[in-house]
Amino acid sequence: MENALNKQAVSDDLMILNMGPQHPSTHGVIRFVITGDGEVMQRAVPHVGYLHRGIEKLAEGLPYPSFVPFTDRVDYLAAMFANHGYAMAVERLLGIEVPRRAEYLRVIVSELNRIASHLIGVGAMAMDIGAFTPFLHGIREREKLNDIIEELCGARLTYNYIRVGGVSFDFPQGLDAKIRAFLDTFEPLMEEFDRLITVNEILVKRCANVAVIDAETAKSYGLVGPNLRGSGVDWDLRRDLPYSAYPDFEFNVCLGRGFRGTLGDAYDRFIVRVQEMQESVKIIRQALDGLPEGEIKGKLPRKLKPAKGEAYGAVESARGELGYHVISDGTDKPYRVKIRAGSFNATSIVEHASRGLMIADLVVLIASLDVIAPEIDR
Amino acid sequence: MGDFFEYLKSQWSFAQEHPALAFFLLVVGYGIVMIGFFSAFAGPVTWVERRVAGRMQCRIGPNRVGPHGFLQWLADGLKNFLKEDLIPNAADKILFRIAVYPVFAGVFLTFVVLPLGPWIVGADLSVGVVYLLAVTALVVTGIIMSGWASNSKWSLLGGIRSAAQMVSYEVAAGMALLTAIIPAGSLSFQDIIEHQGGWPWQWLVVYSPATFLAFFVYFTASLAEGNRTPFDLPEAESELVAGYNTEYSGMRFLFFAFAEWANLYVIGAVITAVFLGGWRIPGVDIATQTNNIWLQFAGAAIFLTKASVLVFVTIWLRWTLPRLRVDQLMLMCWKYFVPFGIGLVVLSLFWQVLAAAVPTWVTSAISVLLTLAGAALVAGMFWRAWYNIRAGKDAPVYTWLI
Amino acid sequence: MGSVSTYFENVKNAAVTIFEGMAVTLSWMFRRPITIQYPDRTPEPVKDTLPDRFRGILEVHIPACTACSACARACPIDVILVETQKHPSGKGRLLMRFDIDISKCMYCGLCTEACPTGCLRHTPVFEATGRDIHNLVVHFVDGPVVPYKHKKGRPVPASPPPGDIVQALLKPWDAEYVAWSPGEFVERDAGGGDGEKGAASPGKVEGGATGSGSG
Ligand code: SF4
Ligand code: SF4
Repeated sequence: MENALNKQAVSDDLMILNMGPQHPSTHGVIRFVITGDGEVMQRAVPHVGYLHRGIEKLAEGLPYPSFVPFTDRVDYLAAMFANHGYAMAVERLLGIEVPRRAEYLRVIVSELNRIASHLIGVGAMAMDIGAFTPFLHGIREREKLNDIIEELCGARLTYNYIRVGGVSFDFPQGLDAKIRAFLDTFEPLMEEFDRLITVNEILVKRCANVAVIDAETAKSYGLVGPNLRGSGVDWDLRRDLPYSAYPDFEFNVCLGRGFRGTLGDAYDRFIVRVQEMQESVKIIRQALDGLPEGEIKGKLPRKLKPAKGEAYGAVESARGELGYHVISDGTDKPYRVKIRAGSFNATSIVEHASRGLMIADLVVLIASLDVIAPEIDR
Repeated sequence: MGDFFEYLKSQWSFAQEHPALAFFLLVVGYGIVMIGFFSAFAGPVTWVERRVAGRMQCRIGPNRVGPHGFLQWLADGLKNFLKEDLIPNAADKILFRIAVYPVFAGVFLTFVVLPLGPWIVGADLSVGVVYLLAVTALVVTGIIMSGWASNSKWSLLGGIRSAAQMVSYEVAAGMALLTAIIPAGSLSFQDIIEHQGGWPWQWLVVYSPATFLAFFVYFTASLAEGNRTPFDLPEAESELVAGYNTEYSGMRFLFFAFAEWANLYVIGAVITAVFLGGWRIPGVDIATQTNNIWLQFAGAAIFLTKASVLVFVTIWLRWTLPRLRVDQLMLMCWKYFVPFGIGLVVLSLFWQVLAAAVPTWVTSAISVLLTLAGAALVAGMFWRAWYNIRAGKDAPVYTWLI
Repeated sequence: MGSVSTYFENVKNAAVTIFEGMAVTLSWMFRRPITIQYPDRTPEPVKDTLPDRFRGILEVHIPACTACSACARACPIDVILVETQKHPSGKGRLLMRFDIDISKCMYCGLCTEACPTGCLRHTPVFEATGRDIHNLVVHFVDGPVVPYKHKKGRPVPASPPPGDIVQALLKPWDAEYVAWSPGEFVERDAGGGDGEKGAASPGKVEGGATGSGSG
């Protein structure tokens, strides 16, 4: 199939260009085979699998709680969500009740993590468009978040914080105030970030009307998260399939509205991320205000041995629905764990959405989908 | 240089006896000094660029080699010297090797006409501006050559982009220069400078609204010609890996980088000469400045200062702006800059007629108003920067070398 | 909205937003960078600035280790090797070997949570390099050691500040790799049946620490 396509390309006098797996803006080891006529592409076919580590298979050889650190590696920019989804699936399998405080802590860390991940997302997009500075300004804020999370759970990226039944640590002394202080400085800095790049006319011109994904296509390709909402589909697991403590909070679901161009273009996805960070700030404030007292870990049997059955737990991660389907055969190890990750679907739409774009736009498209290689391959 | 030679002849008997030999020696000597001088300019500019980029990105930048990292550029140069000069197997070897020279030559040939003082100039060509436009076009040959010879698709794309970009923006740049040349009435850089005065309101940039706008058009167009952000498409690192110099390494790569940074100076120097009063010292008339060698050097210092400020602005722009797409780049040139340029040329012509008709105080008043507008722009920039610092709840830091 | 007005609107937008963007970058020329000049130009060593919960390189305080192997079982990737043997006298066991492969560890913390006495812990040490990857296997026991026996009501032997034990055991980065061999077993009468370690064991670094429990 591949060969036939290439042959056709050669006979049509088209250029085949291999982008990746070591290319500065493929966001990890992904490869795209571009068929195009000079700068204008006909199609870009993603080739994935360079980062496949068999995480799903590894789960089958590990006891339920021991798999949590591996979920960190599913999405290293937003590992909290990956922990959370798995923990939720196993909790549903076991029928465990999670204490309120733990749920609140989960929400707080998840939203902090969402901010961190989106900062990288929008920063990397700006960098792919050629502006290096916004990326580092994003990194600067994320570094502060990393410090906060490090103080909470001891790690900066691979948290292993949200466990089956609860969370592993309670807030240390003074962290509450630190998070509030961070949020207070974060908001003006976010406005500054907007002045620096979000409204920049060059960025707008580069992203608006580029790589438009309409709502129907987005749904049929199974896009999730900001990518789906960027196309104007009002779907957010936090609100529509409420889990954890999310029903307690008030927040808006940010939707693309064709801010500077067509609905569902790259700029809409960019803006949705920027706005979601502000919503996250709101959620964190509410959660800190309403943080209940109590246990941080539910009652767990010494050995987790769920009855035969299966369960699905999904969270709204920074990259959309991140779901774990866990099947138990009654032993202490899962029979099968299937991870449904947003980036995989997002990559699959590249071939469709890249038709007729220019090479520079492909970079924008990939960046606007905010795909992350380990989540694609697992 | 000619004037200086006459002066030499009157002072030095050897020059009287062998004028041809003496002139040859003088020219060669000047060439060597200039190349040395601007190499010494391009090197530290890399350091400045990296330090400035660092600070703008809330980093520090290189600060370990030498005092405050100043010798970083030497270390990097040395590193590149020691690196293997790789030539891809499938490359067109001869073209690949020689591609760097047109780039290098294109940039350095401009130093012939760029003046630093009444006497400190390679050759005051009567067609100086045209010469400048002609030799800078050499750069594009080199870039296309390297793009083609590398036998890499990324390089090729970079080369193609560069060709399209440079050729188009040459038109816009030419138009903008023409706008300023019309009032000066000469294509020679020295004449253009002499037409201006030392004080900001005597500069050509504020001569008329046309030249004021032409300043911005020319600045942007020369950024595009010099492959600087937001027009660095030929080497767009996030799209084309490194564009036309992807396959280069070691010394050859260094030449590309070197030419790029020397080109920064060229951009700044041309604008200084044409728009910003060149080497004129405020309050000193040309005759005094010509006859006093120290005032000549003072003029050179003023020239370099102005050029350095412009170099800083290009660096600053680079670390602020995203990059345009290749079709938008063309669109911007042909739909915005070229029509703008033509309009400005026409406006400038009208202004000439108008200026002759109205009393001089009207034109002077307009110059002063435009100067104030420029000052307001600069002040507004600092005010916004101050606002950003306050909004970010930061205390300002005035030490630059952290 | 004619196209002419769009045209000039574009020019205006571009000029204004570029101006604003430049003001932001300029403002950072006058603001303190956030770079931490690790490793040599920090106000205090980075190690000391880390939070208490920082999950760095693991260390085990052998005098308090019961050789229960709970940590080895908890580790999902078999980083910890705990080897025990029957005591020559037939009574109890001997801890023969306690290795942690820090090149393999992913610092997840599951092992420390499993440890009943808290002798296994994360330290703020995070710098370890080696020319030979085998040098990154830290051997916490040099020779057979009688494991600690936990009794109700008796406090666990106090340990030195976190990081000291493993820091002493880390080899310099360019050290030659020498295959590990177990040392001699030295029976020592530690008061109240506390496990004491072989002569050359790292426990020596903080000799007095083990006895503190019996007081
Ligand atoms: S921290 Fe995790 S990987 Fe490392 S030894 Fe402990 S359980 Fe194993
Ligand atoms: S370190 Fe802790 S868990 Fe491991 S063997 Fe010793 S006492 Fe048991």
